This record gives sequence, structure tokens and C-alpha cells, in this order.
Amino acid sequence: MGKPRIALVIGSGSVKCAAALGLMKVFEREKINVDMVVGCSGGSIYASLIALGWSVERATDATLKMWTREVTAKRSNRAILQLALPWIFKFDESFGLIDDRLINRRLRDGFEGASFADTKIPLFVTATDLYNGEQTVLSKGLVADAVRASISIPYIFPPHKMNGRFYVDGYQSDPLPIGVAIREGADIIVAMGFESPYQEHVTSLMRYNFQISSVTSNNLLKTNYAFHNLAHHSEIIPILPEFEHPIKLFDTDKLPYVIEEGERATEQQIPFIKSLLA
Amino acid sequence: MSPKKRISLVIGSGGIKCAAAAGLWRVLKSENIEVDSVVGCSGGSMYAALIANHVPEKDMEEWSRKLWTSDIMQGYTESLKASKDGSLRFNERSGLVDDSVMNKKLQDIYGAWEFSDLKMPFKVVATELQTGEKVTLSEGSVFDAIRASLAIPIIFPPWEVDGRLLIDGAASDPLPIDVAIQDGADIIIAMGFPLDYRARFRSMTAVQEQLNSIYINNILTSTYAFYNLAHHAEIFPVIPEFDGPVSMFDVDKIPDVIEQGAEAARKQLPHIKRLLADG
Repeated sequence: MGKPRIALVIGSGSVKCAAALGLMKVFEREKINVDMVVGCSGGSIYASLIALGWSVERATDATLKMWTREVTAKRSNRAILQLALPWIFKFDESFGLIDDRLINRRLRDGFEGASFADTKIPLFVTATDLYNGEQTVLSKGLVADAVRASISIPYIFPPHKMNGRFYVDGYQSDPLPIGVAIREGADIIVAMGFESPYQEHVTSLMRYNFQISSVTSNNLLKTNYAFHNLAHHSEIIPILPEFEHPIKLFDTDKLPYVIEEGERATEQQIPFIKSLLA
Repeated sequence: MSPKKRISLVIGSGGIKCAAAAGLWRVLKSENIEVDSVVGCSGGSMYAALIANHVPEKDMEEWSRKLWTSDIMQGYTESLKASKDGSLRFNERSGLVDDSVMNKKLQDIYGAWEFSDLKMPFKVVATELQTGEKVTLSEGSVFDAIRASLAIPIIFPPWEVDGRLLIDGAASDPLPIDVAIQDGADIIIAMGFPLDYRARFRSMTAVQEQLNSIYINNILTSTYAFYNLAHHAEIFPVIPEFDGPVSMFDVDKIPDVIEQGAEAARKQLPHIKRLLADG
């Protein structure tokens, strides 16, 4: 019998996804090799860094450079005009409240121009096609481009136009894309997922939108996980890090803590993973 | 002889398209296929309730015409304007629509109905706004349950039942087959409606609607796949096909919607009858 193929799937969860770096620390220590990585939304950033073979230090460093509050600080002038005067400033599918030029540049610099061909192990990034709602798996071209498509947070960043299609966030179709690893023939799937946080107080229409988005994406997460678990005959190992305090979109100062929690959650599953490999 | 197989009907979310349930009901009756219980979600809960109370098809059609009229959107344009100039106040109990017209119309039909008075067991699925959890309602006021299940996020205000703020059942499970599974149904006839996608986006609301449709269709596909896999061979999907998009207030298309419901039901008849004959 051949060696079982291990896939790592990192779901959406913004800065919390850095917990995947903690997982890698544990895997390196335990000499567990991953054969492919799948990432969605925030998870696609870490899936890419892991596939490129960057060390935890280098990956942390890249995150700190790419992901700062400034990337959502600049409101899109066009969006303001589109909302106020939609009959003059034509409203279209490229709508997003934030000017995405800075994040695009940050991703290009952060990934140092890497393409999928440069990865050490196969990498798959998921996004959602705005027009038909279906999951799209990206595995060619520039890593920064695929990640940008996957992190098109609804209402915040405009959908990403690529190959003549418009992509929105990968979590709109599946927040934890285990199905991709199944199709790619993984025998053991280590799936790190995060529930989307609920709003403490809904005080505006935008917050209400975010709340509904969390409600629907968490339901999608649960039902997809249940389906994949039942449908797939080999093993799916869930790793669900727990955080004592909410980790917000730009809490990069909490990265060391997030990575630690990722380590802790992974360590709990190590005996089981090892028994499967033995 | 083995005991009679228990049949459950599940009518999923789909707004005015849920009127297709009237066609499905007609076909089942004409074939003397007896239904033991009904489950409904969102728009589907309105028709599931009518079936649970044995309302004749012509009344279903007439009530549909009265209900799906644009006045249920009272206040919507004003709210949108207010959201643009920043004067809109919005919290967890808000909706862009003033729901008094819709509530009155629903009260006229379901106001006096209690779950316990219906002619067969009936359950409604809604979603709790705060926790995102699916909630199944099967006691007390039928109006309350339907109103909660129909609360399309942002558009209609949530509805409070037993101290919980509830919204559209579609946000957690647009075609809640599992409720019928849990109730021990042997045969489940599930009528579902994937949401139509847009080809153009001319407003923020259009983008919101599309993003919502993407979620709900993906939940629909995934829950259906799961229930089908978890529960063996006895789920019959009835998915009516329409020539073009049917929008929320296309009341003139109601007779056609009902016919398409009957048509889709007829396609599954041979399979259902075979299973019943196997007894």
C-alpha cells in the first residue's frame, strides 16, 4: 500500500487563519509531511505561504506587512458616488466600499511575485463566481491574484476580475473547502476551520448585513462539513482552535497568540493522526 | 402486511414560486396518495399550512393573488432613501419594510389558526438571528410561525416568538428535509426552489440580494446532498421548472406556477407509487 496522501485545508477566518502556522510548527516537529494545501479566504493567505515553503517567521513577517488597518482605510470615491448618485455614476458588479489598490499592491509585494508554479506542494485556492454562485478552484497564475479573489469580503472589497469572470469571497460557496481535497485524491484531510463571529450589537444596516452573512456562512460551514464527513470514506480530522477573546479583522498584534492556539489545537489531534499514519 | 408508509411533504423557501405546492397537492390527491405531515420553510410555510388544513386549490390560488402584491413592500423606497442619506436607524428588530400590510394579510388567512387545530401535523422552520441556529416551530399560533419564517433578512423585520428573534428559515435550511426525517417519515416528497441569479447589478440592494442567493443556493445544494446521503432512497425531489424568472409580485404567473408544480410532481409519481406498492 502506498503512503497516504495528506491534505491540509484552511478555512475562512481572517487573522485567526494564522493558527495554521501553529499547525505547521507541530507538523514539522512531528515530521508529518503535507502533500497538498487548500485555502479559502483568509485561509488562502496561509495555505499559500505554507505551499511556498516559507518558514513560520517569514510567513508571520509577510502577514504583518500585508495585513494592516490601512488596507481598508481608504474609502472608494467611486463607491461613495455610486451609492449617492447611482443614476450618474453607474452602479455595477465592481462595487466595493474600499479602494482595493493598496491591498492588491500589498499582496503582490507580500508574495514576492510568486506563482502557483513556484509552490513546493500543490496549492488550491477557492473563490466564488459572482454570477453563478459556484465555487471556483484557482491553481494557476499569480498566487497574489488568486488570494485577492478569495478574500473579496462582501461589501468591503470589490469582487476581483480575473480571466473575464468576477470572483467574490470563497466562503460564499464553502467556508471550509474539504471537497477540493477529496477531489484531489487526499487520503487524510486535516481541516482547520473557524466559525464566523456574530455581532454583539446590531446598530446599523451594515452590521445587520454582517450578522446575516455570519448566520448563513456558519450554516453553510456546518452542512458542508456534515456532508463531506459522511461522503468521504477516509479520514477527515477537524482542527478547531478556540480563542478566549474575539480576534478582529486587523488584530495582527495577536498573531503570536493565534499561532499558539493553532499549535494547541493541533497537538490534541496528533495521536490520532499518527495512528492513521502508522 | 407491513404498516402503511408515512409520507411527509416538505415545501422549501421560494417566495411566490411556492404556490407550485398547490399543483403538487392536487396531483397527490388525484392519485389518492395520503400525506401524513407537512413541513414548510419561508414562502413554503404559507402553502404547507394551507395543505395541513386541507384548503381547496382554488382558495390557495385566490389567496396567493391577494398576498403577493407590491403593497407588502410599504415603506421600502423611503427606507432606501434614508439609508443613502445616512438618516436610517437600523437595529436587530428593523427591516427596510413597514410590515403592517403584510401582517394584516397574513392575519386575514392564518390569524385564528393554532397548530393543534390543523388537520395534520405541521412544522415550520425559521432561523434565530442571534445564534444562526435553525428553529422548528410546531406549537401555538400558526401566524407567528409563518411570519417568522418569512422574515427575509434586511427587507422584513424579524419576528419574536417565545422571546427569540427569528428570521427567514432559508438562512439556515431552505429545504428542511431533516425535520421530516426526525419525525419518522418513510417517504419524503421535497419541493424546492433554487433562487434565480442576477445578470446585472444596478444597486447596492442588487448586490446584497445576489450575495444572499449565493449563500442560500449553496446551503440548499449541500443540505440536500447531506440528507440524501444520510437518509436512504426515500427522498423524492420535486423541483418545478419555470420558463423565465418569476419575480416576487408576478401574480399573473400564479396559474402557470401551479401547473409547473403539478408537472414536476407527475414526473415523480411513478417512483412514489412503486415505493408505495412495494409496501
